Amino acid sequence: MNQAGPTVFQPHIERRQKLGALWKLLFLLSTLVGIIALAALLLTVINDSFGLVALQYEVDPASLGRDGRPLERLEPDELREILTARLSSGLIRRLESEKPLAERSREQLYDLAVERVAKLQVIESWSLAQSLLSRGEIRRWLEENHPEALLKFRSWVSWRFLVQPQASLPEKAGVRTALLGSLWMILIVVVVAFPLGVGAAIYLEEYARENVFTRILQVNIYNLAGVPSIIYGILGLAVFVRLLARLTSGALFGVGDPATANGRTILSAGLTLAALVLPLIIINSQEAIRAVPQSLRYSSYALGGTKWQTIWHHVLPGSFDRILTGTILAVSRAIGETAPLVVVGASTFVTLNPTSIFSKFTTLPIQIYQWTARPQAEFRNVAAAAIIVLLVLLLAMNTAAILLRDRIGRRRREG
Amino acid sequence: MHKKLRLGELVIQLTLLLFGVLSILITAGIVLTLGEESLRFFASGEISAWKFFTAAKWQPAIGEFGILPLASATLMTSLIAMLIAAPLGLFVAVYLSEYANPRVRAVLKPILEVLAGIPTVVYGYFALTFITPLLRSVFGENVVSIYNTASAGIAIGILILPLIASMSEDALGAVPRSLKEAAFALGATKLETSLAVVVPAGISGVVAAFIVGLSRAIGETMIVALAAGAGSALTLNPFRSAETMTGYIVRISGGDLSYDTVDYNSIFAIGIVLFLITLALNIVSRRIVHRFREVYE
Amino acid sequence: MKKIAFVAVALLIAAASLLTAQSMKKGFEWVTRQSDDPMLPGVNPLKVTGNIISAGSSTVYPLSERMVERFKDEGYKGNITVDSIGTGAGFERFCVAGETDIANASRAIKSSEVDSARKIGREPLEFRIGTDALAVVVNKSNTFITNVTKEELKLIFSTARKWSDVNPVWPKQDILRFIPGTDSGTFDYFIEDIFGKKKEPILGAANLQLSEDDNVLVQGVEGSPYAVGFFGYAYFQENKDNLKVLSINAVAPSAETVNKGTYPLARPLFLYSTVKIMREKPQVAAFLAFYLTYVNQEIRSVGYFPADAEGLNKAKQNWLDAMKGAY
Repeated sequence: MNQAGPTVFQPHIERRQKLGALWKLLFLLSTLVGIIALAALLLTVINDSFGLVALQYEVDPASLGRDGRPLERLEPDELREILTARLSSGLIRRLESEKPLAERSREQLYDLAVERVAKLQVIESWSLAQSLLSRGEIRRWLEENHPEALLKFRSWVSWRFLVQPQASLPEKAGVRTALLGSLWMILIVVVVAFPLGVGAAIYLEEYARENVFTRILQVNIYNLAGVPSIIYGILGLAVFVRLLARLTSGALFGVGDPATANGRTILSAGLTLAALVLPLIIINSQEAIRAVPQSLRYSSYALGGTKWQTIWHHVLPGSFDRILTGTILAVSRAIGETAPLVVVGASTFVTLNPTSIFSKFTTLPIQIYQWTARPQAEFRNVAAAAIIVLLVLLLAMNTAAILLRDRIGRRRREG
Repeated sequence: MHKKLRLGELVIQLTLLLFGVLSILITAGIVLTLGEESLRFFASGEISAWKFFTAAKWQPAIGEFGILPLASATLMTSLIAMLIAAPLGLFVAVYLSEYANPRVRAVLKPILEVLAGIPTVVYGYFALTFITPLLRSVFGENVVSIYNTASAGIAIGILILPLIASMSEDALGAVPRSLKEAAFALGATKLETSLAVVVPAGISGVVAAFIVGLSRAIGETMIVALAAGAGSALTLNPFRSAETMTGYIVRISGGDLSYDTVDYNSIFAIGIVLFLITLALNIVSRRIVHRFREVYE
Repeated sequence: MKKIAFVAVALLIAAASLLTAQSMKKGFEWVTRQSDDPMLPGVNPLKVTGNIISAGSSTVYPLSERMVERFKDEGYKGNITVDSIGTGAGFERFCVAGETDIANASRAIKSSEVDSARKIGREPLEFRIGTDALAVVVNKSNTFITNVTKEELKLIFSTARKWSDVNPVWPKQDILRFIPGTDSGTFDYFIEDIFGKKKEPILGAANLQLSEDDNVLVQGVEGSPYAVGFFGYAYFQENKDNLKVLSINAVAPSAETVNKGTYPLARPLFLYSTVKIMREKPQVAAFLAFYLTYVNQEIRSVGYFPADAEGLNKAKQNWLDAMKGAY
């Protein structure tokens, strides 16, 4: 070992170790930032989804009482009188067609009177943090400004929220149409993109030879995976909504309204998103297929199998768990996409469930976008509730993906 | 022995080939759609390409087509996002690959994946309801307007953080142990090994991660649509509102425009610029990985 | 004897049902004799079938939304979609693409739009449904301004940079402007009334944010004491706690001033359809009749003001003329 020249090696052990500890802390803190961000996001959403609300009757039930008897104690005949006097004739007609008022019980009539005549409304809402920490203050404020109001704890995420369609009043709004729209769309995306994607991946991995054409194909797919989603929206607008309007509106098949058929349907939205996730599915499936050991293929050939038989009976089952996981993750991405659908034309106000792929549509993220853009505080609450529904849906899908992968993987290893 | 021609096999092969070619069709569709309408836009005589790229005002209704305000807003949000996500993402990757024990990894990696899976509209909500009020309370309501690029930029940064972190971690994890152990043998501390040996060895993957993150930030739409505002403005103040390229496209197509109006065609012109930028970034990132990838044994 | 009686009764019933079937043509089962309106026939939403597609003004949107909800509440089971995309975009879908049954508008249809509609075989029919008092709003904490003249409005929304440029008494702060987008009928109306149809001054103003979504504008004005914006009165009414509406030329918007015609920025709200659509899609006719019958019951709570009796009656007459002999 030579001593190299005049410089003497200084170990500086302590300083280096201190520096190391400092940077380790820095790295740890960076990770914590990510965790804190996630926590802040979830807490903000939860904060807005639950809280106290101040409810007030538009028409004081006390004023509806008769002869000193409050609303709850009135006879059915008197309740019917109030209803027919206060509600519009059209509404009475509809209620009669569902179940005649004469046949309704006193409780049912009372519920109707409270809901339709007295009309309990949300006049103010508070976040969860405010509800838990400043309950006394809220109560005092309420006494000063709205003495007749009731204070109640409300969860904006509820079963009712899931089954009600969109409405102009935030407390009546629900995500039914949006949820169904999202589910319909996932169906189309899976049906279209899964076979096309896996098929393309099989071609690239099993059949394609190393030539310029294949390389162009491969590079093209990688590039497509990085294209911003809004560009796909523009593509969808130009091709599926406008160019192929006859196909996507159902006019070609005689379905839908000839007078006002246009391509802004679930089908167009589904096809646009299918184009978006196609590159992701291809890339993922390629990696999955590549992971299948060659020995498996060779043993199949050795036994006289053709290429396709090998693929179908050995390669695909061997890579299926990974392919499935990747597809579910790609579809999760599609569920959360908003921008391309805004361009393709999700509707602002749709209240009826989609009945076919040629229906007008709205989806969960679009609903969240619209509600977030509204300034009224109560729309923040419903937007947050819708976000919870969306996150739960995504969580369910990802969990299903992981479980499926483990189960299929385990079965393959055992069987 | 010559290969027997099986018809079934051939049909299958051709079908699958067609599936693969479909991806080319999609690219062709994008290029043709954007290209044709953009050509129509530039050919209409109202705008020259030179003015398009250099004029400083964007107001199509009165014939002003300078892309600079939109581009500068895109640049600002992306830059703010990268300022947050690049160093933090790299540090998280270093931590995960060098320092964390398997138990911590098992907890942290899923958290990162969850962050990456949250839809962008939720981040937009977060920016509008949490980040903007936070900025306003810290810096004052007069300084920070209700729609601003800083809030959007921060949200985008959190969005791309997991992306950069996981790609960088893959790159750092691919560095062979022998290199690290050689550094330890020479007396380097863990920090020195990480910063002087591992990161440079995986630098191509790290840089690729940065570029992919940048590309994602540039293409981000919903966060800026909700939080950054709807007024195109050439400004360097992150606390003011400024519309980005993507925000403009979404705002205009949220309405509905005739074919061949100048507003409609402008979407395509902006779109093609966006497409080319992200395409260039993606190509560059793959080039870097390819060219500078260290090949071990 | 019994047999003859039986046959006679059967024939009588058959004749009766044939007669009633004739009087209610297919698709028009919803027409009722008893009506809540002196001019229009009654509408039973329970018997309306088929879907309706409408799109257009974001100003009219809350009103249409309310009428749709009531229509459904009273029994309509079909599918109505209402898209809030701006008056101009609504006419685009109605007159050029032919995609919608009803166009919602916060301004009258232009002659160029009528020409486009005729090219696709549509002859637009106008229905006046209400009046909006265009609200020029500032933040609630804005203490320096309660009234503007039209001249001041012109300056505020164009060349002035700071509030003090318009009136030296006002603060030396930048004016932050939030206005409807160029697709909006509200925008068109404001340009026509204040700027004489010239778009350049307002679109060239500094610190300008445009949006077809009035909610975005509300949030913008709520965000700063030096912000100013304008949109339909309903959006002001819904956000009264955080906004302040300005008087124009010393006249404040209210039911009386709109009715008397003294509020300078009162403007009509319309629906447009065509005779052909109403007759081929009776559900559209049903919805329009329902709308015209009950709109005055709902319009105040939505935040707008009733159309004058003459305008509404003309709309009803248009309906009757279009549907003559159809049911």
